[in-house]
Amino acid sequence: MISEFLASPVMREALLPALLVAFVTASMSVMVMAHRLSFLTVGVSHASLAGLGLAVTLSLPLLPTATVFSVLIALLLALMPRKKGISEDAGTGMLFAGSMALGVLLISSTNSARVDLFGLLFGNILTISPVDLHWLYLMSSLIPLLFVLAARAWWSIAFDAVTADASGLPVSALRLLLYGLVGLTVILCVKLAGIVLTAGLMILPAACAWFWGRSLFSLWLLSLLFSVTGAMAGLFFSYIYEWPSGATVVLSLCTLFILSWGLNWAKSRLTA
Amino acid sequence: MSVPVLQVSHLSFGPLHKPILDGINLKLEAGHFLGIVGPNGAGKSTLLNMMAGLTPPSSGHIDLFGRCLTRFSRHKLLSQIGFLHQLHDATPRLPMRVQDVVAMGLADYATPWRRNRHLQEIVDTLKLLDMDHLADADFRQLSGGQRQRVRLARALVRQPKLLLLDEPSAALDSVRQEKLFQLLRRLCDDAGMSVIMVEHDIAAISSHVDSVACLNRQIHYHAMKGEDIPEDAWRAMYGDHIHIVAHDAHCIGCAPGDLNQEHQTQMNTDKITGIQR
Repeated sequence: MISEFLASPVMREALLPALLVAFVTASMSVMVMAHRLSFLTVGVSHASLAGLGLAVTLSLPLLPTATVFSVLIALLLALMPRKKGISEDAGTGMLFAGSMALGVLLISSTNSARVDLFGLLFGNILTISPVDLHWLYLMSSLIPLLFVLAARAWWSIAFDAVTADASGLPVSALRLLLYGLVGLTVILCVKLAGIVLTAGLMILPAACAWFWGRSLFSLWLLSLLFSVTGAMAGLFFSYIYEWPSGATVVLSLCTLFILSWGLNWAKSRLTA
Repeated sequence: MSVPVLQVSHLSFGPLHKPILDGINLKLEAGHFLGIVGPNGAGKSTLLNMMAGLTPPSSGHIDLFGRCLTRFSRHKLLSQIGFLHQLHDATPRLPMRVQDVVAMGLADYATPWRRNRHLQEIVDTLKLLDMDHLADADFRQLSGGQRQRVRLARALVRQPKLLLLDEPSAALDSVRQEKLFQLLRRLCDDAGMSVIMVEHDIAAISSHVDSVACLNRQIHYHAMKGEDIPEDAWRAMYGDHIHIVAHDAHCIGCAPGDLNQEHQTQMNTDKITGIQR
C-alpha cells in the first residue's frame, strides 16, 4: 500500500510541497506556542480571505496578494495599542471578523468561476500549480533563514521580554519580524490546509513537542518530527481513503497530540 | 580621575504638574554598592528601569561609562549591564534547563553564529549562587527562591560592570538574603563591579552597602557608610505620621505603645529594622 502511495504521480507531486510546509510550520509553531500567538494564526488565516477577495475583484495574482494582506494584518496586530486597553485577542477578534466579512462580500460579488471556495477554506495540496510551487520554494527558503537568525532572540523575548529589552535587544523590531513571518507562514499553509484548518499546522507540532522538549533546539527537533510525521500520515490516509488532504493532515496531528499527551501522562504516573 | 560608571543628571519623569521622579542626581564610581530605599510608589523601579534603558526620561540624562544613554548607544552600553526586574512570570511555561536560562544572560546569546557555549562561565556563575547542582534541572520545576537565584545568575553571567537589581531578595529566605548581599559585596570589592539595589528593608542591607539613597519622587538624602539617616529624611520619604522604631531580637512582637521613649528615638540606621505607621 505504501509503495502504491509513493508510486502515485499525484501524491509524488504533493509530497515535496507538503514536506516543505511541514518543515516551515514546525519551526514557526515553536515560536507561536512560546509567544502565545495561537489565536493570531487563526485570525490571520481567516483574514487572508479578504486578501483573496481583493485579488479576485482586482484580477491580481491570488497568493502574492493574500500574502501581502496577511502580513499587513499581522503587523497591524503587532502595533495594536495594548497600553490603551486593546488586548491582542480583542484586536485579533476584530480584524478576524472584519476581514472575513470583507472577504465574503468581495468574493460573493465577483464571478465565482475563478474561486474554488472549498479549496480556499479547507485546502487541497493535490491541486498545487507550478506558480504556487515557486512561491512555496521562495517562502520555505526565506522563512527558515530568518528563523535561524532570530530564533534565540525571539526565545529570549518569550522567556522574559523586559530583561531581553534591558540587554539591548531590539524587542519591538524583533516582534514585528515575528508577526510578519507568522503572517507569511499562514499563507504558506493555506494551500495545504485551507483558511479554516491552517491554525492546526501552526500550533499542533510544537504543542506535541511541548510535552517532551527541554530546550529550544530539542523542541524544534521534536516539532519537526511531529510535523513531518503528521504530514506524511495525513497524505497517506488521504490517498488510501480518498479523504480531503488538509483535514486528514490536521487530524493526524491531533492524533499525535493526544498520543503525546497520553504518553506523557502515563510517564508522569509511572515516575511519581 | 576615572570616569564614573553611572551619572544621572537632573533626571525627571512623568507629567510636569505631578512628576514621578523629579531632579534626580546620582553618581556611582566603580566598585560602589548603592542601596535605594523608599515607600511603595516612590519611583524606585521607574528609576532603575531608566538606568536600564527601558524608559526614556522626560528630562535630564543618564551617562553610562562616560557615554550618554540614547536609543543609538543603548545596545553597546547595555551589554555591560546586568539587570534583574521584579515582574516575573509566576508560572514559567517555556521548557528550559537551568543552564539555558542562565545562558540567556550572555552578551552574545542572541547571535546565531556564536560558537562558544560558555558552559564553564555558566557553571561558575551558578556556583556563586549554590545552584550548580541544578544546572540540568527543568526551570519550571524549581521553587520560587531557586528560580530567583537562577535569574540572578542570568544577570551575573555576563560579568557586568554595573548590576541593577530590583528587590533581588524577594522570594529568598533570610539566610539566602544574607548570602546574596555578601556575594554582591564581594563582587564590588574583588571584581570592581558596581551595584545598585532597590530594597525595602534598610536594616538587611545597611551593613553591606556603601551608601543608601532615600527616594520618594526625589532623593531626600544620600547617606554614606556609617552615617545616620536624619529623621526629617525619613519623614520626607514616608510622611509625618510615621513612628520610627528601633528594635532588636529582644523585642520580637513589640508594638509602638510597648516601647519606652529612649527606645523610640534611636535613629541608628544599622539598627532600624522597621518603620511603623
